[in-house]
Amino acid sequence: MAAGGVVLEVDGVSKSFGALSALSRVGLAVSEGEVFSIIGPNGAGKSTLFNVIAGLHAPSAGRVVFRGHEITGLPPERINRLGIAKTFQITNVFPEISVGENVRVAAQSRSADSGRVASLWRAADVEVRVTELLESFGLAVKRDELAQHLSHGEQRYLEICLALATEPTLLLLDEPTAGMTPGETRDATALVRKIALQRGLTVLLIEHDMSVVMGISDRIAVLHFGEKIAEGTPEAIRSDARVIEAYLGGADD
Amino acid sequence: MSRVVTWRVLVAFVALAALPALPGIPTYYLLLAFDALLFGAIAMSLDLLMGYTGLVSFGHAAFYGLGAYATAILLERGVLSLWACLGGALVVVGVYAAIVGYFATARRGIYFALLTLIFAEVVYTFFRYTQTFGGSDGIQGLPDAHLWRGVPIDTPQRKYYLVLVYLAVAYAICRVVVTSHFGRVLVAIRENEDRARFLGYRVQRYKMAACMISALLTGLAGAIYPMRAAFATPDLMLWTESGEFIISVMIGGLGTLVGPILGGAFFTILRDKVSSFVDWYFIVIGVVLVLIVLFMPKGLLGIRRLHGFRQWRQGA
Repeated sequence: MAAGGVVLEVDGVSKSFGALSALSRVGLAVSEGEVFSIIGPNGAGKSTLFNVIAGLHAPSAGRVVFRGHEITGLPPERINRLGIAKTFQITNVFPEISVGENVRVAAQSRSADSGRVASLWRAADVEVRVTELLESFGLAVKRDELAQHLSHGEQRYLEICLALATEPTLLLLDEPTAGMTPGETRDATALVRKIALQRGLTVLLIEHDMSVVMGISDRIAVLHFGEKIAEGTPEAIRSDARVIEAYLGGADD
Repeated sequence: MSRVVTWRVLVAFVALAALPALPGIPTYYLLLAFDALLFGAIAMSLDLLMGYTGLVSFGHAAFYGLGAYATAILLERGVLSLWACLGGALVVVGVYAAIVGYFATARRGIYFALLTLIFAEVVYTFFRYTQTFGGSDGIQGLPDAHLWRGVPIDTPQRKYYLVLVYLAVAYAICRVVVTSHFGRVLVAIRENEDRARFLGYRVQRYKMAACMISALLTGLAGAIYPMRAAFATPDLMLWTESGEFIISVMIGGLGTLVGPILGGAFFTILRDKVSSFVDWYFIVIGVVLVLIVLFMPKGLLGIRRLHGFRQWRQGA
């Protein structure tokens, strides 16, 4: 599956919050077109790693390189414009505007006028892209509803729509199926896989539920207490002694 | 009808334009209408920040007052051109707003409100205690401005039309802005500033631009005021004035543009009527405002309340 060169390189990244070390010397290399998953028990540092990549936190040490540009410590808006979009573990949409407006404001971020003076009077025509995205996530009928009135599962999809609307080449999904039922989780996982293939996206996925990632990942890295303890194909990870230990040992936390 | 103007708004403007033609309308009412529309226009400008961007400015009186002083200083020195006065106000208010906006938009919520207030108080104090511009008396007894040479804006009718044209232009600008690409981003910032950043938007720039537009429109309103009142005083910049702008936006309804125009007009007329009967008019106004907030929480035309009151919102 993993075809092209390295898209994202995380090199020796550490992050501490005061005395708490959330990540220590984590390294990853994600290749073009692959679905790369990061798993680990709660508190393993997965979201922190995403926040470092997406620009919310600057790392305490190490660097992040995206398509040959060093992006370590750049602000989120710069990183997004370079082609990395992130979804959030806790739904993070625009609650009091309609579903359609949510996606529209995300989609127009890539229009020619964005950030220019002409955007003060022109309105970008992103209709086609908005409709297409809403349809692929089954949200077209909810277009005029306020985002806050969607069901939890629908909000999770809207969350992904917003990220995709900015036309990323690398999509960071932070537990996209959090709070979904097993049935919804299966559907969502299949949909994400399908859309990534259609759009030629590289996907970096965080999950704490191992069963979700086994079916769709090309490679998996396992974080435990802020350190990477394993990396490999789903088969290799399934049988890795340290991974089993981390998951079983961490079962009570 | 279009992105900018609806039939209802067009009809309202035509009706307002016909107001001076009413047989026997007293000058007093025409000038009250002037004040009402001017106050409404300021509230509308503030709505760009409060209703759309989610930023509460407690310092709009400074933009208003600086615009008024720009005109007063020019008229006093014999520069009578309306256009020179408006231009002067744009420059002065623009420079000031750029400074305030730069610092205030770097902070959120209550800090934004406090920074705008502090800057405005500095400006007020400067004009209040510096004799160059008349101190607490301000600049009084100004001559009429001229539309162009030989056409003074001297009669109440002409003054009324001046403010009406200004309101129309300001409304058109605000409508274009809120329906543009830019306007949608402002709403996104109001709704969820952090997420907007992850969609690639440089949030502070957008806030700054919204501040500038709102401030410049308010400054123009300030520039027009001395053309009717023939004076500019530091009291125009007092923080209570900023508070009245905010109240007007709230009365009218956040994020509606037309609502704040009505709110500003309503407030002006209420204040005028009540104060002609009693000295302690603010107590009466206060009671009216409390009633409005209690029983019309979304304002006269409101569709939403400030953040933190989402549960009040009715269905989709």
